[in-house]
Amino acid sequence: MPNLQAEVLVIGGGATGTGVAWDAALRGFDVVLVDRADLAEGTSGRFHGLLHSGGRYVVKDPVAAAECVAENAILRRVIPDCIEDTGGLFVTTPDDDPAYGDRFLAACQDCELPAEEIEVSEALGREPRLNPGIRRAFTVPDASIDAWKTVWALARGASAHGARVLPYHRVIDLHRDGDAVTGARLRNELTGEELDIEAGFTLNASGAWAAQIARMAGIEGVDVVPGKGIMIAMNHRLVNTVINRCTMPADGDILVPIRTVSVIGTTDIRAADPDELPVTQDEVDQMLDDGERLVPGFREARALRVWAGVRPLFQDARVGEVKDTRDVSRTHAVVDHLARDGVEGLLTMSGGKLTTLRLMAQDIVDAMCAQLETDRPCRTAEVSPPIDENEEPYRLGARLRRREETLQEEQLICECELIGRRKLEEAMRRRGTANLDDIRRTLRLGMGPCQGGFCIYRATGILHGVGDLDGAEAGASLRNFLQERWKGVWPILYGDQLRQARLDDWIFQGLLDVEHLPDGEARPA
Amino acid sequence: MSHHDVVVIGAGLAGLTAAVRLAEGGARVLVLAKGVGATHLSAGTIDVLGYAPERVENPGEALSRLGDGHPYGLVGTGAVAASLEWLKARVAAGSLAPYAYEGGLEENLLLPTALGVPRPSAVVPETMAGGDLRRRAPVLVVGFRAFKDFHPALLADTLRRTGTPARAAELDLVPEGRADVNSLGFARAFDDPSFRAEVGAQLIGRLRADERVAFPAVLGIADPHGAWSELERRLAHPVFEVPTLPPSVPGMRLFAILREALRRAGGRMILNSVVTGAEREGGRVGALRVRVGLREERRGCDWVVLATGGFASGGLELDSRWTARETALGLPVAGVPAPGEERFRAGYFEEHPIARAGVAVGSDLRPEGHENVLVAGATLAGAEPWREKSGDGISLATGHRAAELVLDGVRQPAAAGS
Repeated sequence: MPNLQAEVLVIGGGATGTGVAWDAALRGFDVVLVDRADLAEGTSGRFHGLLHSGGRYVVKDPVAAAECVAENAILRRVIPDCIEDTGGLFVTTPDDDPAYGDRFLAACQDCELPAEEIEVSEALGREPRLNPGIRRAFTVPDASIDAWKTVWALARGASAHGARVLPYHRVIDLHRDGDAVTGARLRNELTGEELDIEAGFTLNASGAWAAQIARMAGIEGVDVVPGKGIMIAMNHRLVNTVINRCTMPADGDILVPIRTVSVIGTTDIRAADPDELPVTQDEVDQMLDDGERLVPGFREARALRVWAGVRPLFQDARVGEVKDTRDVSRTHAVVDHLARDGVEGLLTMSGGKLTTLRLMAQDIVDAMCAQLETDRPCRTAEVSPPIDENEEPYRLGARLRRREETLQEEQLICECELIGRRKLEEAMRRRGTANLDDIRRTLRLGMGPCQGGFCIYRATGILHGVGDLDGAEAGASLRNFLQERWKGVWPILYGDQLRQARLDDWIFQGLLDVEHLPDGEARPA
Repeated sequence: MSHHDVVVIGAGLAGLTAAVRLAEGGARVLVLAKGVGATHLSAGTIDVLGYAPERVENPGEALSRLGDGHPYGLVGTGAVAASLEWLKARVAAGSLAPYAYEGGLEENLLLPTALGVPRPSAVVPETMAGGDLRRRAPVLVVGFRAFKDFHPALLADTLRRTGTPARAAELDLVPEGRADVNSLGFARAFDDPSFRAEVGAQLIGRLRADERVAFPAVLGIADPHGAWSELERRLAHPVFEVPTLPPSVPGMRLFAILREALRRAGGRMILNSVVTGAEREGGRVGALRVRVGLREERRGCDWVVLATGGFASGGLELDSRWTARETALGLPVAGVPAPGEERFRAGYFEEHPIARAGVAVGSDLRPEGHENVLVAGATLAGAEPWREKSGDGISLATGHRAAELVLDGVRQPAAAGS
């Protein structure tokens, strides 16, 4: 007997998977979404935050560019609270060929992308820290998008339409009945419990992990090329407009202002394993040099955190070996396992990018409807997921203004990200988690300049009370958070951030002695 | 240009110790510092050596086994012991007396951190000594809802896991009527007898036999002995303090005591002074270049004691091309892995290759080629203060030793150091 039943099982809780769950739930399907970890813990939570205008792809990949042009406009309409309209600039740095600008403008016109050349002086007026040596500048409708907010909004929307969203449920096998995939065996990663789900249709939206899932159904040759990219968040907004180098897409050519930081990205290196993404010193040095080219003095600014994400670039086994992952198309494709492998009830989403998450979901759910011979039109271009009433479109300074009204009435637990005690306790109860890292992704707890130096002891104490944890669980959560944080800071520890890290050592090792926290159970009082 | 016998750079434990000792010894001393030092961050205890790498019970014995490359190896166990006795005497006769420190090199106390972890400390404020976890007497941990930097239930939970019976209480007393009050706000409240009376009244009926009562280390900043002893009297139970997140009230007390001792001994301190370089003649520094606000000043001196701290305090810096520098005098920094080599390991609690970086000195605490510059405290190479729990002891012992060395030199200006 299965423990769960659903019409549609969605595998993957990133932007793609939650987008698919939202789309399918909105069309009236009974949906279960599973992810092996927390929502947006994979690629979606590890990108630079750029809502593409399409400008980056116009010359090299016009299909992807045209998709971005359309989807950018739709997302601004349906999830406005997740997007900050920063606008974007393409700039010709002294190292770039000014003639590329003409090709760029022409290609923008072909894709109906509203781009316009402006005077260099005007660009420098808008962005005074930009390299004064730039030779041309073009405006485009780039924006920044908060991936966590987006994923949670889509998950909430799906849930409001009956979907069940199950993070920390890993697919350990797919069930097959003859030529059909009929569900999956899951393991609850928090309890270790295993359970079965029976599903009429399974949608594989696991991104860079799609090949691993397909293999569970006995399907080989779904070759996802994991393209690793590193990104570095600088601790304030060096620019307020997305800055792109006006050149053929290369490394380190985008600087995205998002919330209180700006993110430089990115490299593109073929990775062997999507779960092993080491950040090397060469990559860090390269990003810093590239940042210096866009914003002189970049190396003097404070680097907060570095991370690597993995693009799910699709390469069909029938095409030859991919040398440069940047040459793989950024568009997406639905892999029809019925036509390709003779397997019913399973579709795989391959490729794609966050900007086109809605279109990707529409395409795969359309393909499912076609196989099921049912006609249920997609509505995600018109309907918004329910907006969290506490949320509003991000504007720098708005949070501080709100916070200052209640400064005397409520404890501020995370000073960097302005998180009050009520909001923290509410999130802990709602998520029912023993994991401070989940709270980090939900509220951005500990993501500011001090990287949890002050708030994480406080949050541990509060979680110990709210979550009714014992001391061993609370301590384990604290140590796990410190290790996760360390992973993202040690490759960029120099200047003020090294100083900050030493201060945090002072707190965690000097004052609290976290490293000698005992394991094991408490004795009764 | 002013001229002093000694300019001490830095106002943390190392710098203040050196400056007070020098002033007491008759030297004309000027302390120049960017701001207050790390006393405001630290627990207020003097941790000499807690782990080496196993937990140390007798720090005097354990530190004699450290090699010459370690700051303790440079100054020797005798100098460490002398500095501890010196500090205890200064505090006992200081501006917050009868507030006093106790303990010594023979044994480490095990004091609970705010997480409840037993932390080895050699010399500690009297207000903390009662928390020694080598005794198993039960503990009632008292916190305040309005104080986010101390979580009594979590602390009590850890104590129980390490064998000390413990329970927690959270009081709803709100100083200044605010929901969010930091350690200093509570310390000022505890200086007020009416607040102490209120705390006593809320707790008196809740105590069990043999229980000792733990408070966050906020029991007064102007009169800590008064606040602590009055609570003990009112509750008729032993009371002790547990260090909290910064700002550290016990650290601020220690800073205040040493600053006042410096003033009484005739020394001077100027904060907001950033030493940016030195004027040298041969191997000697004749004057310091100092930035005060937007002004540049020069300060002449016979001797310099550099005690600006390590990477945490800005005494050392690593730039984005992975080159380290000592920020005040530009002294060479030893122990920094070359660009391309591993600086940190992937595990947070592992030993990191850069951890022992600092300015290398000889047993006279002078870097090679510098006749009248001595280095003290966290700027020194060779130690891992957080892992060893040795930072306070190193700062105190090397600051004190630097002063003794300079005093010898000041008396015989021809001979450079000893």
